[in-house]
Amino acid sequence: MISFQNVAVRYPLGNIALDGATFEIEENEFVYLVGPSGAGKTTILRLILHDLVPTEGAITIDDIEFSSKKFNQTAQLRQKIGVVFQDFKILPDDNVFENVAISMEIKGYPESEIRKQVEEALSLTGIFDKKMLFPAQLSAGEIQRIAISRAIVGNRKILLADEPTGNLDPKTAWDIMRIFKKLGKNKTILFATHNTDIVNSMRRRVLVLKDGHIIKDKKKGGYRQ
Amino acid sequence: MNSIFTSLRRTPYQTFAALSVLFFTLLLSGGIFITLSFLQGLLNYVETRPRVIVYFQVKTPEKDIFAIRDKIKATNKATEITYISQKEAYKIYKKSTENDPLLLEMTSPDILPASLEIDAIKPEYLPEIAEFVSGMPGVDEVQYQKDIINNLLNLTSTIRKTASFFFAYLMVMSIIVLTTTLSFKIALKRDEIQVLKLLGATNSYIRAPFVNESITLGILATVFANTILIGLMLTLNAVLTNFFAGIPPLTLFIGTVSLQVWPFNLVFILFTLGVTSIFSLFITLVSSYTATNRYL
Repeated sequence: MISFQNVAVRYPLGNIALDGATFEIEENEFVYLVGPSGAGKTTILRLILHDLVPTEGAITIDDIEFSSKKFNQTAQLRQKIGVVFQDFKILPDDNVFENVAISMEIKGYPESEIRKQVEEALSLTGIFDKKMLFPAQLSAGEIQRIAISRAIVGNRKILLADEPTGNLDPKTAWDIMRIFKKLGKNKTILFATHNTDIVNSMRRRVLVLKDGHIIKDKKKGGYRQ
Repeated sequence: MNSIFTSLRRTPYQTFAALSVLFFTLLLSGGIFITLSFLQGLLNYVETRPRVIVYFQVKTPEKDIFAIRDKIKATNKATEITYISQKEAYKIYKKSTENDPLLLEMTSPDILPASLEIDAIKPEYLPEIAEFVSGMPGVDEVQYQKDIINNLLNLTSTIRKTASFFFAYLMVMSIIVLTTTLSFKIALKRDEIQVLKLLGATNSYIRAPFVNESITLGILATVFANTILIGLMLTLNAVLTNFFAGIPPLTLFIGTVSLQVWPFNLVFILFTLGVTSIFSLFITLVSSYTATNRYL
């Protein structure tokens, strides 16, 4: 489903964000991207989202190659992908419900379907009671839940999560992980984290990154820093 | 619709600025359009007044004169050709000199020439008709008010050019002001636009609220401006009816369609509403597309 062939991202001053990354991810596979800060985890997620264009190599999703700057179907590609951003990227002027609903409005869903899916997602992430509140009235953990809810609605086939438990207390983090475990049955998930406990709790495929290189690809493994 | 008005309420100063600019542009443009339509109608009427008068030698037989009249008709450049015979010319002369019997005694019907008075479809045709008939047998003299026609043509052309320039200037100015106002508004939502793009929003989806907002402003401005313009037209109709009592209904020709511009009537009012609406739609669409393009 997702294929990276010798993908590299090099910046003009010689900085290497990713080098020679080659891997394939099957449909409905759950993959952890692990490694220290600056290892290249976010770079891989941004490449999949076509928010960054590789300087070398080829990336394909569902056999559509989009490594070129000239690729002009970015919006259609992104509509297949739900993302939990590291910095949330929540709309400050919209309430919780609107923030989640936007993900489906973009795809042109009817209002009744939007209401149904958004309310389900908010119940799943445990913030249904706060659906009319605005981000300024919520804690970081609650905002994180909005971001997760937004990523899982709208039948997006791929889910990218960049440190989705980073701002959460251990209990909430485990709650969130349970949500991802449920979602993993019918979505392809790339989960970037450096939380070893979380990785080790679920025996899933792990791609270990260091200094822009994939140093290990464990099919069902754990991770030790 | 609710979201549009919510967004407009959230930025009251920018909304007021954009609405004011649009309102004044449409009010001015509408006012200019009405004035120019009226002037053009008046010019169309005045332009039909000058005519070519062809005087014939006194011994020219009537059948030759009629032959010339038919030839002029065949050019399709004349609206009306009136034949004034020697007897009729004498009657006219008699009437105009009734206070001076001595002058009348010295004149007989035989020495006054017969003539043709020709009204042209357009004033541009008058010199052509004059040239066409001047070489024909029996024609003694051809007269037409060359200076008046040239002045009228110059005036019409100047008014058209000035109006085009003024319309273009108004349009460009309002597009610039509206684009700047909208850009400011969009700049405040730059981060939001980036998020929407990352979530897979198409350019048209991102653009839609801004385009809808500016079209709503355009509709409001059109309604406000036209309320004043219609009030003005109804007032002028009442005030100027006596002043223009001797003038027949004035007509504007748009292609093959004729539109009565005076007295102001429902069709003309609706036409003005249509023109200002199209003008408003053009300004709002161009402005919102230009403003959003910078962030897409």
